[in-house]
Amino acid sequence: MKFGFKELPGRDEGYLRPRVPVVVEGYARAPLACLLDTGTLHNRFGRHVAEDLSIDLTGGERGRIGVGGLITESIAVPVVLRLGDAVWQAPVWFCNPWPFEFQVLGQEGFFRFFRVEIRAATYTVECTFEPA
Amino acid sequence: MTTIVKGRIAGQPFALDADQVRQAVAGVLPEPLHEHYVVIDGRRFPPKQVIAAVTGLDRADFTTHQARRTLRRLGFLTGRRATPPPPPPPSRTDKSTWPHQGREAEALRPYMGKWVAQKGIEVLFAADTPGQIFDWLERNDQYADEMFKVPEPGSLAEGWTSKVDITRWP
Repeated sequence: MKFGFKELPGRDEGYLRPRVPVVVEGYARAPLACLLDTGTLHNRFGRHVAEDLSIDLTGGERGRIGVGGLITESIAVPVVLRLGDAVWQAPVWFCNPWPFEFQVLGQEGFFRFFRVEIRAATYTVECTFEPA
Repeated sequence: MTTIVKGRIAGQPFALDADQVRQAVAGVLPEPLHEHYVVIDGRRFPPKQVIAAVTGLDRADFTTHQARRTLRRLGFLTGRRATPPPPPPPSRTDKSTWPHQGREAEALRPYMGKWVAQKGIEVLFAADTPGQIFDWLERNDQYADEMFKVPEPGSLAEGWTSKVDITRWP
């Protein structure tokens, strides 16, 4: 699966970010644009995603984590995710507050399942489903 | 015995020895190599960088060939890279190389700070909250390619980490 970087309007010329559209818990009407972050261990989503999609956080592992320079309260539960035809289950840490525009895919929840080639020179991301 | 090489570069007479050259570049970082290089104390330098450093001459005033010949006479190993370096990738600001030639960024510009449901590069619906997007898609039986919040200027996505203001968020 090959994806172009997302073009975004900036204060001047605009800029590009590598992201992929991920279907969460089978809700295919609105795949969530997720940034690929090789420096992040786990998948981090905004808490609002769990609330909007009625994902039960009861009994999830709780923690306080640092994201993008702030401390946020997080609850982790296993979630079924889909990218193209690839379906996998991985913990997602639902965070509040989440002052970010995108969700974030990390090592354990995404890169463990995919071989990923990022070509910033051509603004492309290629993901091949290869679960360990 | 120290070899002193005398000659002229760019019309200027000079007398150099190898130690002078070593000292001139001892604390200098080698610049990116192009086609030719010279090895000094185990490091590869562009020959013109070395001659400029040791003589103070402007690089535009002499050729790579003159620089290599002088350094070879001083006993330094010179060489040519096996293949020329690849051309640099296109500039980030060259929108003709962007996935949508900048049209997507411009299509999103009116929605900065809003959540959007996007189909292709077209915005199907924009709202203040993701919940409103979900509601609209359900009510209108629509499917988006993806949903996200279009970053505002100075956002973290743009790279301005110091601009995050968590007090605006529940």
